[in-house]
Amino acid sequence: MKHTTFVLLLIVLSQQLGAQVPDRDTYLKGFEQRVAYVTSFYDTMQTAGYYQIAVRYAHNRDIARADKMFAEMLREPRGDMFWMIPAIGAYLHGKDIMSAEARAIARNAWKTYAPYRGDTENHWCMYYSALYLAAEQWPNLPGSEWYNGRSSDENLREAREYLIHWIKITTTIGQGEFDSPDYFPEYAMPMILLSQFAKDPEMKTRGTMMADFVFADFAAEHLQGQYIGGFSRIYQPAVYKPLLSGASAFAYLYFGTGQPTNSGWIVLPALSSYRLPQMIYSIAVDRSNTIIEKERKRVRNVIRFGTEKNPPVYKYTYITKDYGIGSLQGGILQPIQQHTWGVRYTYGQPYTTIFGLHPYWSGYEVGMFFPEEVKTLIADVVASKGTYNNPDKWTGGSPFERTFQHKNTLLVLYDIQPGTTTEHIDGFFPRNLEERIVDPLGWIICKAGDTYVGWYPLQEYEWKEELESPANNLSDIGRPQLERVKETGNWRLRSYKLQNGYVIEVRSKDEIGSFEQFKAGLQKHIPQATLTPAKVSLHYKTLNGDAMEFAFPEKRMLNGKAIDLSKTRLFDGPFLSADVGSEKLTMTYKGKKRILDFKAMKITE
Amino acid sequence: MKSLQILLVGLTSVLFSAGLLGQSSTVYVSVLSTKLFVVGAANPETGLYYRKTGDTVWHHSGAKNIRAFGLAVHTPSKGALICIASGNGVHKSSDGGATWKITTGWEITEVLSVDIDRTDPEFILCTTPYGIYRTLDGGTTWKECNNGIKQKFASSVVINHKNNNILYCATEDGVYRSENRGDMWERTGLGVGGVRVVVQNPRDPNNLVAGTDDHGIYITRNAGKYWEKTEAGLDHLTFYAITYDPMNPQVLYAGGYVTGVYKSTDGGLSWTRKNEGLTNLNIHSLAVDPTDGSRVFVGTQWSGIFQSDNAGESWHKIGLNGSQVWTISVQPF
Repeated sequence: MKHTTFVLLLIVLSQQLGAQVPDRDTYLKGFEQRVAYVTSFYDTMQTAGYYQIAVRYAHNRDIARADKMFAEMLREPRGDMFWMIPAIGAYLHGKDIMSAEARAIARNAWKTYAPYRGDTENHWCMYYSALYLAAEQWPNLPGSEWYNGRSSDENLREAREYLIHWIKITTTIGQGEFDSPDYFPEYAMPMILLSQFAKDPEMKTRGTMMADFVFADFAAEHLQGQYIGGFSRIYQPAVYKPLLSGASAFAYLYFGTGQPTNSGWIVLPALSSYRLPQMIYSIAVDRSNTIIEKERKRVRNVIRFGTEKNPPVYKYTYITKDYGIGSLQGGILQPIQQHTWGVRYTYGQPYTTIFGLHPYWSGYEVGMFFPEEVKTLIADVVASKGTYNNPDKWTGGSPFERTFQHKNTLLVLYDIQPGTTTEHIDGFFPRNLEERIVDPLGWIICKAGDTYVGWYPLQEYEWKEELESPANNLSDIGRPQLERVKETGNWRLRSYKLQNGYVIEVRSKDEIGSFEQFKAGLQKHIPQATLTPAKVSLHYKTLNGDAMEFAFPEKRMLNGKAIDLSKTRLFDGPFLSADVGSEKLTMTYKGKKRILDFKAMKITE
Repeated sequence: MKSLQILLVGLTSVLFSAGLLGQSSTVYVSVLSTKLFVVGAANPETGLYYRKTGDTVWHHSGAKNIRAFGLAVHTPSKGALICIASGNGVHKSSDGGATWKITTGWEITEVLSVDIDRTDPEFILCTTPYGIYRTLDGGTTWKECNNGIKQKFASSVVINHKNNNILYCATEDGVYRSENRGDMWERTGLGVGGVRVVVQNPRDPNNLVAGTDDHGIYITRNAGKYWEKTEAGLDHLTFYAITYDPMNPQVLYAGGYVTGVYKSTDGGLSWTRKNEGLTNLNIHSLAVDPTDGSRVFVGTQWSGIFQSDNAGESWHKIGLNGSQVWTISVQPF
């Protein structure tokens, strides 16, 4: 009888939890409302812009004005692949209703304006998606009719080859510009366009499947509009104001989370026929259970100072309904904007994160990834990424940083070479924490609503109040939606010891009870560290009772057993599953499966 | 005095025999960027520029925002055939720059240098961070040819002007040599890291000079078997550009990271700095006018191009302000 009651209780609970995710009709109704919110902003905007044009064409209204805007915008195209995507998107929405003159102007732009192809994955993905769609629209033209001198056939073939290559590498060894809150749109947008507009049924399917793929990747590490890190690339200020990122705009449109936004990134998606599968939506919003997600990605193409073109990246993420903590293994995995680890939570706005880093920069780092001269590359980079060589920056990886995460406990160690560009480490503590106290045993203990964060520094440190963030010097070209305000009142933990590190413990009220209980728990868990050059190590017993041993750079032991990161699968979590090399992603939700099989080019649900 | 007369007569004879004396020449340069470059932004115009020596106006040809690294002009066709090595691939013009085509596909990217064979213009090589690529049909098809090369990042390549089966390539782990048009490579006696440029003596194909990142300048006189480090007079170690005076290969110029211009008059054994008038010592390209050895051009990083009319004794700016001038080629037509 007791057993029956228990089972019934479980069923009721399960139904209640299931009820947390709106059904398909409700979801689609909400989605259409958000679409209307986004597009209405551009619908009546009188200044010329590709999104204003696309919305008018898509809604078949004010076509003469749209044609005029299109002609104005195409008078002097600029923006490379950031032009190609909105330009072809606007054209595809209007090609059947625009004037012959506007159509001719659009065609002529692809003859006379030569976009730069770029030097990284998001550039190529956008460039070739747009070129593919353009070549399909204007077939059988000779090279003299295209900006690059290549015929329609040649362009179509080249674009197709690249896209198939990119899809294959991404579904076998992982994305290179992986899990980027700021570069998510650069992948989602072109895939959504292919899904809607590719004439070739196979490419249309590829676009749909890859859109599903990138959304599923995001969904599994999503919390209330935020991507949970580590990340390959993120800009300031989105690194400390998470909802400012482009991915959060997509979360608003597709998951209905975060804050309403009319970001330009989501205009073409809002006009698209692509619809997020209910399963991916459910994965994104159902936080009724704790999630541990392990993933394998790849380092951006290494062109110098290494023998492996795309070494693996290992990501570990722990997410509850209140917070997420995620990390990459450390080292240089992406140039300039890497975010190695971070805690993000649902409490408060806009500062919903705590994280740390070694703010490193060097010609060596950028020389690994960029072909220009190593000695002048920093100046090249700073021209567009103004914070790169700023010792107070909040983004970037370091060869002297490594992490070891198990569940909601993270160990971070540094063994910084003397003479390195920066000889300190930093931690970000937002001003809107409810509590930020230092207990007598050394734990810094923070409260952010129902999320509690403990940070145990292994070395002496100092606090600096950020009166003005140098991050605001950041060039944010192409990201006009980001706020530009002076930051005040956030706190920087800074430690100048070269052999260094910290322990991070995160718990929610649901997991541990009151904040007082969390504090009391931490006091019984003091890390034991060895911090001498070339001998940096740490022993720690977590609040959950797990024994973690970590020696810089790569020795990780959990409860006496060595951790072998190389066995990490492409996706390994309750929702997503994929083996390295498989070209197949299996999504699971409440016993149902959705399989993206890229070899067979088939979606099974 | 008599010896001077003999020398002048001899030199004049050489110039006449080469058909160059009194000819005009054209300077071609590839501008990689200005300091304002940002992918996706409204960047200032860059790419291929050219002008006749003596003119004051630079003309632009081809695409305007492609990250133009290297360039090659086919001398026998009098510049009808030009190639640009760029971020977008290898651009080729067969009509002197009137029309262009990107000959390479998606897999050949961030092309750093290009060389066209003098005798067989269908044979073109390019170097990229991902290795060396070759076409034998004028760019219709390209093939990766990195057999034998360990570190594929390749900065510059030379097609032997006396025997086009022999190639030299500057890579991240030394200078490599091929005797079969790139089918197979072997590392020469120079195995230092970060070789940025290798150039061939215009008279003696076995005599080459290599500039490196952090390791200085090396010379070989036996087709790469042995390399000798040249240090006399050099106060710097990073060199991106080296050029011979085509008329007098005893004269060389070299430049690199904040080096200014170094000149050698003894085939590279010793060097002297020649920086009068140079307002930016960060050098990336050098070339000597084949019709007038006293006319030398130097391309800087972000300060445009300078010219000397007295074999490097002094320099004056001739334009492309703010530009990163990656490569210069001066042609006798």
